[in-house]
Amino acid sequence: MKKLNFSLLLVLLTACFSCNENNTAEKPAENDDAKSAYLLNDTASINLPEITAYLEKVKTTLQQPMPVLLFQDSSDQMMKDAETICLSNADFTKYLRDSISKNAFRNEIFNIYKARESDFNKTTRGFCTDGSCYKVELYNFALNLTTVGLVNVKSKQILQVTHVPNTQPEIPQHLKTIAIHIAAANTDVQKALGFKPGEKDAVMSATKTSLNRSRCERSLHLCVAPTFVKGEKALWTIVDLTELKVAGLRWTNVGSAGPESAVTLRKIENETITECFCKNELNLERNGWKMNYMITSSDGLRISNVQYNSKPIVSSAKLVDWHVSYSDTEGFGYSDAIGCPYFSTAAVIAVEPPEISDLIEDGKKIGFVLVQNFSSERWPQPCNYKYQQRYEFFNDGSFRVAVANLGRGCGNDGTYRPVIRIAFAGGSQTFDEWNGTAWNNWTAEKWQLQQANTSYTKEGYLFKISGQNGMNYYIEPGRGQFKDGGRGDRAYTYITINKPGTDEGETDLVTIGPCCNADYRQGPEKFIEPTPESLSGRSLVMWYVPVVRNDDTKGNEYCWADSYVKNGVYSTRSYPCFSGPMFIPVK
Amino acid sequence: MMQKYLSCLLIPLLFLSCKQGEESITGIQYITECRQMAAFIQSTGFDKKRSAFSTSERRTKGLALVEFPLSAQMQKRIYQHPSWKMAGGLGPIVITEDGSVYVAPIPIVNVFENKPEQQNTIYKVDPVSGEMNIFIELPRAKQPSPENPYGILGLAYDCETGILFASTVSGSTRTGEVGRIYSIRVKDKAKIIDQIDNIDAMGLELVYFNEKKSLFFGEARRSNIFSVNVNEDGKFKSKPVFQLNLTGFGPRGDDKARKLRFDKSGNLVVFGVEFNYNLIAPSEKQETMYSFQYNVTSQKWEKLNKSPVMGVEE
Repeated sequence: MKKLNFSLLLVLLTACFSCNENNTAEKPAENDDAKSAYLLNDTASINLPEITAYLEKVKTTLQQPMPVLLFQDSSDQMMKDAETICLSNADFTKYLRDSISKNAFRNEIFNIYKARESDFNKTTRGFCTDGSCYKVELYNFALNLTTVGLVNVKSKQILQVTHVPNTQPEIPQHLKTIAIHIAAANTDVQKALGFKPGEKDAVMSATKTSLNRSRCERSLHLCVAPTFVKGEKALWTIVDLTELKVAGLRWTNVGSAGPESAVTLRKIENETITECFCKNELNLERNGWKMNYMITSSDGLRISNVQYNSKPIVSSAKLVDWHVSYSDTEGFGYSDAIGCPYFSTAAVIAVEPPEISDLIEDGKKIGFVLVQNFSSERWPQPCNYKYQQRYEFFNDGSFRVAVANLGRGCGNDGTYRPVIRIAFAGGSQTFDEWNGTAWNNWTAEKWQLQQANTSYTKEGYLFKISGQNGMNYYIEPGRGQFKDGGRGDRAYTYITINKPGTDEGETDLVTIGPCCNADYRQGPEKFIEPTPESLSGRSLVMWYVPVVRNDDTKGNEYCWADSYVKNGVYSTRSYPCFSGPMFIPVK
Repeated sequence: MMQKYLSCLLIPLLFLSCKQGEESITGIQYITECRQMAAFIQSTGFDKKRSAFSTSERRTKGLALVEFPLSAQMQKRIYQHPSWKMAGGLGPIVITEDGSVYVAPIPIVNVFENKPEQQNTIYKVDPVSGEMNIFIELPRAKQPSPENPYGILGLAYDCETGILFASTVSGSTRTGEVGRIYSIRVKDKAKIIDQIDNIDAMGLELVYFNEKKSLFFGEARRSNIFSVNVNEDGKFKSKPVFQLNLTGFGPRGDDKARKLRFDKSGNLVVFGVEFNYNLIAPSEKQETMYSFQYNVTSQKWEKLNKSPVMGVEE
């Protein structure tokens, strides 16, 4: 039995990802620029002295009664007066703190300038004929909110306050400089360019157009794109100014009119994942294990042709559906498929590449894990979902097919039923169930529910799969013993025949079942009923459907997530609910 | 709760008078609505003046007739003929001068009740019986694949000629754009009149543009809006002409035109959404309304609203 302590896990092997570096499969050359897209997990820029100094100012500001970082660029007395008047206005300062926790948001005055004719309306124009009106722009990093104040400095009157959600003002000069420094200092940028760029190379970053022409659509962070030109190509570097890091890179053709459309982070995310993981299978060899993997249209991350020490174990494994139902509203819920971001039947999509990490226990590497996350755009806001698949492979030949809901959804009365499909390798297998005293062979297709009175072997095994060439495994369902926070699977296990010529899930499955059946009718039963077939001499498919209920009770959260303010911006706290069976080789 | 922004259509039955189109100095001549209330509504007991058809009612699959309350203290009422659930999730709706309702399916969150091979069908609700039946199954260039769960994405009706227009992306894949725009005769027996091949389009709308009847359509793959001239007999008589691009506008910057409408002033109103041929369903309806006016001098479309309105439903 593998008992992993999550605090010891995850030595991340893939800190950044570009298709060219890591993808061993050959790609059609239909979109070379898209293939060059990088998703970065940049941590190096945090040590730049100008960032350290800026963060120190932010930290100090967050402690102040008026948590607003004042205008950082040069300003005259009139501008300073305008700023002071605005910050003494209750409407202008309405959104400086979280309304519930009262924690300070990260707020900064981005711009102060003399009001122009176009800034006035019929009402305010008359108050500004003396030329003393100024416009003050405040940006709230947490809410992605711009507050604009129109003020007459001479009369000390605030004439108008406007709060514009999901809008970002012109970036102030000091943040433009920081963005360029972050980009220029990034080793992936330098590697892509083949040289270390100076500030002057970021040709477009000093102009309003280029800095406003990038977005981090999913995080709603403040993002800009210093762009470096090399020959006929331009390297767009998306800098996340909320997190102060490089988030992605992409080459475009310069041309006479610039790129056809702006390079944004969502575009890079979608293109990278599509080009690198949705089109072809990738090969993974590690610790005696060998397999292919790819992200499917609607069945999540699929692994296939899994071998251990050259012995075929699993033909394929994947996650077909998430059935989500809400108990207080009978029949209400969703069947969510997970998969690729472009051209798919996925409701919750992959927004980041898969990660491969070492599994470590007591300081020793005991295997590795292949992890893929799928997320709704606005997670963890209500009715947004985040799911995870974890394939764990151990050096002793054990493996686990685990899945998790990372929280939120539409209510605190949700029940999640992930539909896992595992097809075993080889021409025929036998399947046995522990009946409390001995192994009982299943002779025909059937299903079984893991219940409170279910008997397990003393090791915790419930089933046994035995195949050709020594492929013999015990199967240990989740009962809260895997130290991943899981509280037990209460799973339906179905065994069906893998019929040659009849596709019962070997290729991408569209939605297999409805959201809200509370019994065994989760979809796989349609391959059993009405007449179960004999398992004798047949290749088998195991379907595993855990039943997991969420909980938002303070201190007991499960399948839940919430947001909290950290360093002035929202962070997410997730309480995942893991489930899935462990396969242990029969010695 | 997840919302279905591709299917959010609410067609009010109010203000149903048939007027002549109104001339505009903007080069746009608005074609007046002709939709009429279906006779069967009388039998539902709903007040027709505050009723509308909807395909986006929460927890209500298919088509619904919604009667809006007279006051905030009252609740809206919903009527569904048993046949209105037969096609699963529904999206675009048009209503004609005899009260017929034409609707097309759109998968919502999943394809459990919206199989890809069934997404190229237009359904008609009979104005007298209220029963919904298949009106026409549109041919497709290629069989649908798991890559693309969608079929028909847009419907528009020409009140002057009685011709229905439909856009479909059925059979399109990431590498192959094989969608079509059809013109369809609805009088007597359904019949396809003409088609434009190899275009994936979403929103459709008819208008007189520079004195020629034109079908405007939003591309499903890109943020472009095109127009194509249409004969009175429903034949397309020009190649699509680029009109404007939504790139960079709004909170997302890459919206596709889900729905197009011309107002009586000749302004083009575009309802933009994120669309990547998947089934993501944001909890907040992330739709943005953009308004454009045609400048006849520069022959370009000018954006009217600096800060577009978000989350607006018709």
